[in-house]
Amino acid sequence: MTTLDTAKRVLAGPHRRVLYAFAAAATILVAGAVIHPGFGSWTSLRTMLVLASFIGFVGAGQMLVVLVGGIDLSMPWVLNGAAIVLTTSSLGQSGRLPLAVALALGVGAAVGLANGLGVAWLGVPAVVMTLGMNGVLQGLSLGLSKGLTCGSCASYAPEPLRRLVVGRLFGVPSELLLWAGVALFVTVLLTLTTFGRRVYAVGNNPRAAFLAGVGVRGVTVVLYMLSGVFAALAGITLVAYGGQPSLGLGDPYLFESIAAVVVGGVSILGGRGHYVGVVAGSVTLVAIVTLLQAERVPEYGRNVIYGLVILAILFTYGRERADD
Amino acid sequence: MSELRAATLGYAVLAATAIAYLVVYTTSLGHLPTPFDYLSLLNTSLPLVFVAIGQSLVVLTGGIDLSVGGMVGLGVAIVAAGSTSGAAVTAGWMLAAVGAGAACGAVNGLIVAKGRIAPILTTLATLSVYSGLALKVLPVPGGEISPAVRSVLTDPDVPTGLIWLGVAVAGWLVLRRTRFGMRVYAVGSDETAARAVGVPTVWVKVGVYALSGVCSGLAAVFYVSTTTSGDPNAGDSFILTSIAAVVVGGIAFAGGRGSALGAVAGAFALTLVIDVLFFAGIDPLYQSLFQGLFLVVAVLLGSLVRWRRA
Repeated sequence: MTTLDTAKRVLAGPHRRVLYAFAAAATILVAGAVIHPGFGSWTSLRTMLVLASFIGFVGAGQMLVVLVGGIDLSMPWVLNGAAIVLTTSSLGQSGRLPLAVALALGVGAAVGLANGLGVAWLGVPAVVMTLGMNGVLQGLSLGLSKGLTCGSCASYAPEPLRRLVVGRLFGVPSELLLWAGVALFVTVLLTLTTFGRRVYAVGNNPRAAFLAGVGVRGVTVVLYMLSGVFAALAGITLVAYGGQPSLGLGDPYLFESIAAVVVGGVSILGGRGHYVGVVAGSVTLVAIVTLLQAERVPEYGRNVIYGLVILAILFTYGRERADD
Repeated sequence: MSELRAATLGYAVLAATAIAYLVVYTTSLGHLPTPFDYLSLLNTSLPLVFVAIGQSLVVLTGGIDLSVGGMVGLGVAIVAAGSTSGAAVTAGWMLAAVGAGAACGAVNGLIVAKGRIAPILTTLATLSVYSGLALKVLPVPGGEISPAVRSVLTDPDVPTGLIWLGVAVAGWLVLRRTRFGMRVYAVGSDETAARAVGVPTVWVKVGVYALSGVCSGLAAVFYVSTTTSGDPNAGDSFILTSIAAVVVGGIAFAGGRGSALGAVAGAFALTLVIDVLFFAGIDPLYQSLFQGLFLVVAVLLGSLVRWRRA
C-alpha cells in the first residue's frame, strides 16, 4: 500500500470533489501570492477569510437545500431583512442585543418555514416559492422601514456585535471562530447524525427515501428553515462588519452562495457534497475578486474573468455524467 | 395538448389581472383607460414579452437561462452606444445586438449540451461574462435613439407595437409546428427517449439557447426604443421577471409541458400588476411584496386546477 494508491483511492471516492475544491482554492491563492506581492501575507489572508465567512454562511444554507435538489432564491432579502431587524430592534444598545439577534434569526427561520411548507406540502417548485418569498421580504423590508428612512433605521449595530469582526480570540478574529463553529455544526449534522443520513437519502432519491420511511417533507422543511437562519446569520454578521445595513446588502449573495456551493464540489442535482468543500469554494471566490482588485482590473474585466474562472472550475469537476 | 389548454393558466391570470386593472383604474380616475394607456402598457411590456418567449423555449427543454440579464444588457449597450448617428446606422447596430445575443446564446447551448454543465450553473457563469462585456461596450448609461426608429418600433401614438407582438406570436406558432419545435418538446419530455429515436438533442439545446439569445437581443432593441436611452445594467431585472412570466404562464419547470403564449400572457400580467398597485394607491415600496405573493398564488391556483382535473 503506497501513498500513491491511497491518493488514487481518495481521488476515486466520494471526497474527490472536495479535494478538487481545495486544489482550486490553493491554486488561486498561490497564483495570487506569486503575481501580487503581499497577497499571501497573514493580514491579507485574514481579510479574505473574513469576507469569505459571509459567503460561507449563505453557502451553508444554500448547500443544505441544494443537497435535496432544491434551491433558495430568497436569500438576498432574508439577509437584508434580518440585518434591518437587527439594528432597528437593538437601537445600538448592548442590552437589547440578545433579543435583536433572536428576532433576526427568527425572521430567517419563519421565512424558511414558509418556503419549506410551500415546497414540501403545497408542491410549489422551489424556484417559484423562494423567488416569491424574496419579493415578499423585499416589499416588507422596504415598506416597513419606509425605504430605510424610519427613525430607528439610523441606529448602528451594538458594540458587542461589532467586536465580532474587530475582536480577537487567541489571535484569531472571532468572526472566523464563528465560521469554524458553523462548519463544525453543519459537518456533524450531515455526517454523524440520522438526520444527515436522511438528507443524503432524500437528495439521492426522494421516492426511495420515502418508501424507506424517511419523512421527506419534514426533512425538507427543516432544511429550508436552516437555510433561512443561515441567511439571517450572514445578515447579522454583515451588519457587525459594516456597522449599518444598506438596501441591496444581500443582492450579491444569491449568486455567491450558489457559486460557492458548486465550486465547493456539491452536486446541483442533490445528494452529493460536503461543507468543507463549500468553505474552500467561498475562499476561492473571495481570492479571485481580491486578486483582480489588487491588479486594478477594471469592473468589466473583473466580471468577465470571474465568470470564465467559474466556468473553468465547472469544466474541471462540475460536469454531469454522460448518459449516452 | 392544444395551444389554448397549454396556456390556460397564463390567460386566466392575465384576465383576472386585466379586470383588476380596469376596476382600480376606473374607480381611481373616474373613466375607463384611454387608448394611450393601453398603448404605453403594450410598449413597456414588449421587452419582457420577448425575453419570456426565449426563456419559455429553454424551460421547455428542462433548462433555465439566467444569462438573459447579461444578454439584454449587452444588447442594450450595443444599440445605445452605436445609435448616436442616423436611423440606418442604428438599424445596423440593432441587428448587431440581435446577432450578439444569438452568439452568446449559442455559447450557452454548447456549454450545456457538449460540456454537460447544469444549465443554471452555465448561465450563472456566462451571466457574469456577458454583463462584463456590456459594461465594456457602454461603461456609463447614455446613448440616444433616433425618432425615426422609435416610430417604427414603439410609436407612442400609433400602435406599431401591436405588429411586433403579432410577429412574435406568429413566430412562436410557426416554430411550434416545425420539426425543431416538436423536438424541443421531445427533449423536454424525456431526453433519453428522444435521443433513442434519433433526435439530435445536442443541437436542439444549442438551438433553444441561441433563440433565447436572439429574443434577448430583440428585447434589448425594444427596451432602448421605449426608454430612448441605454443602461448596461438594464438586463438584470429581466432574469427574475422572465422566470416569473414563464411560471405564471403555466410552463412546467421539468420541461416538455406548456406554451410560450402562456408566458406572453404572464409577461403582460406581471406588467399590469404594477399599474394595478399604482392605481390602487399602494405605496410603491410594497410593490415587490405583492409581486411575490402574486407569483406564489398564481402557481398555487394552477396546481389546484390540475388536482381537480386529475
